[in-house]
Amino acid sequence: MDAERVVIAVADGRVPDVTAARWVTQCALSRICGSCAESLGRPVAFLGTPEEVARNAFHLPPMHVDCADALRRTPDADPTWALVRTAGFEFVRPAREDLDRHPRFEPNSLL
Amino acid sequence: MAISDVKEYTHLTEEEVEQIGRELDAIRTEIEESRGAKDAAYINRLIKVQRGLAAAGRVTLLASSATGKAKKPAWVAGAALLGVAKILENMEIGHNVMHGQWDWMNDPEIHSSNWEWDTAQPAEQWKHSHNYIHHQFTNVLGYDNDIGYGILRMAREQKWHPVYIGQPIYNALLASLFQWGVALHDLDLERIRKGQKDPKEMKRQLRQIARKGRNQILKDYVVYPALSGKGWKWTLTANMTANLMRNLWAYVIIFCGHFPDGAMHFTEEEIEDETRSEWYLRQILGAANFEGGPLLHIMSGNLGFQIEHHLFPDLPSNRYADIAVRVRALCEKYDIPYTIGPLHRQYGQALRTIIKLSLPNKMTSSDQPEPPTPARDRKRRSDAERPPRRQELGGWMRSAS
Repeated sequence: MDAERVVIAVADGRVPDVTAARWVTQCALSRICGSCAESLGRPVAFLGTPEEVARNAFHLPPMHVDCADALRRTPDADPTWALVRTAGFEFVRPAREDLDRHPRFEPNSLL
Repeated sequence: MAISDVKEYTHLTEEEVEQIGRELDAIRTEIEESRGAKDAAYINRLIKVQRGLAAAGRVTLLASSATGKAKKPAWVAGAALLGVAKILENMEIGHNVMHGQWDWMNDPEIHSSNWEWDTAQPAEQWKHSHNYIHHQFTNVLGYDNDIGYGILRMAREQKWHPVYIGQPIYNALLASLFQWGVALHDLDLERIRKGQKDPKEMKRQLRQIARKGRNQILKDYVVYPALSGKGWKWTLTANMTANLMRNLWAYVIIFCGHFPDGAMHFTEEEIEDETRSEWYLRQILGAANFEGGPLLHIMSGNLGFQIEHHLFPDLPSNRYADIAVRVRALCEKYDIPYTIGPLHRQYGQALRTIIKLSLPNKMTSSDQPEPPTPARDRKRRSDAERPPRRQELGGWMRSAS
C-alpha cells in the first residue's frame, strides 16, 4: 500500500491525508474514527493489506466497522484490503531503526 | 527542536537514547504479553468497590434524612463515602478506561469508547484534550493546555502580565471548581480569547458541555435531594461536599504530575520527527512522581506513577508500581533525572511555583534543579518568539482549516 497517498473524506467533505502522522496520532489517542472523526465504537476496525494483516501492523487509523467497510468500497480503495475487527490496539510510534517510519497500529484482541 | 535539548541535557549519545528506547519497549512488550485474568479481576473488583461505596453513601444519606438522632454523623459518613466513590470513579477507573487501558478485555462496558464518567466534562472532549493534546504534546509550552489550564502562569518562559498577580486566587478557584475547569478544558480558552476558535466547533462543544453539566447538576442537586424528601438539604450539601472533595483531590494529584521542581517544559515547534525513544525521554523528563502506599496510589488513579503513565498511558494502571521500579533503575543507569518525592513536597513545590510566577521573573528566582551534567544553551524562547499554536488544538481535525 502506498501509505502516503490514501485519502478519505471525513464527515464535512474535507479530504485529509488519512495516513498523515498527525491525523493518525490524533485518531489513536483521541480514540476517534479516522474516517468520520466521531468517537470510536466497539469493535474497532482496521483496513490493511495482506502483508499488514500478516504482520498485525496497520497504517490506516482505527475506524468504525461501517466506515471501514464504506471506505473499502470506494473507487480508490486498495482491492487487497482486508477488514480486521478488534476490541483494542497498541499505537506504535516509529523507532529510529525501523524500516517502516510510519506510526502503526497493532490490534491486541482480534475478534 | 527541544528533543535535541533533551539530549544535550542528559548528555546521552544517539545510541544511548535508542538503547533506552529498546529497554522501555521490552518492558512494554512484557506487560502486554502478561496482562490477563489477574488484571481483569483487579479492575472488575475496583468497579464493584466503587459502586458499593457510592450506594452505601446514597443509602446513608437517605437514612440520615429519615432519622433525627444520628443526622450529623450520617451526613459526614455519607458525604465521605460519596466523595471517595467519585474520586475512585474519576481517577482510577474513568481516566484509565478512557485511555484504553482495559480495551483488550473486550468488555462491553469497560471500554474507552463507552465509558462516560461522573464529572462535568464529556468523555469525548476529555479524550481529545487529555489523551491527545496533553499526552502527545506533554509540557510543550503553547501546545499543552494542562500547563496552567489556560489561566495560570506555570513556566518562567510564559510572558508575565499584571493579571497574573491574582494567580493564587485563580488557583484556589480552579481547585474548588476543578470539574468545571476541566469541563471547559477542550474549548481552549486562549484560542477563544484570540478569536482563533471555529465558532461552529465552539458551539458544538458548548452544547455538549451544557448537556453533560446539566445532567450532573440534575443528578447531584435535584434528583437525589428530591428522593430524600424532607432531608433534601442534607443530601444536597453532602453531594456538594463530595464534589468538592473530588475536585480538590483531583486538582492536587494532577498538579503534582507536571509542576514539581524537576519536571521540565519544552518549547519545540515541531515534534513529529521525534523517534519513539526521544518521545520516551520527553515523557520521563516532563513528568513527576510521588511516593505513597498502595491505597494512596489507587486513590490517585496510579498517577503517583506519572512518569510510567506518560511512558505507557494505555497499559493497565495496576502494573505501574512494578514498571516504576524498572524505569527508575533505567534512569539511574543512564543518569536521567527521575523526579519523585512525597505528595506534600511535590504539591508544595507546585504551589510555590504558582505563587512565585504571579510575579515578573526579575522579582523571583528559578527553582528548577541544575541538570546532572553542565547544561548548554537550551535556546528557550519567549512567547513572541514561539510558533503559532497548533491548528487542531481544542477542536477536532474536521474543524481545522
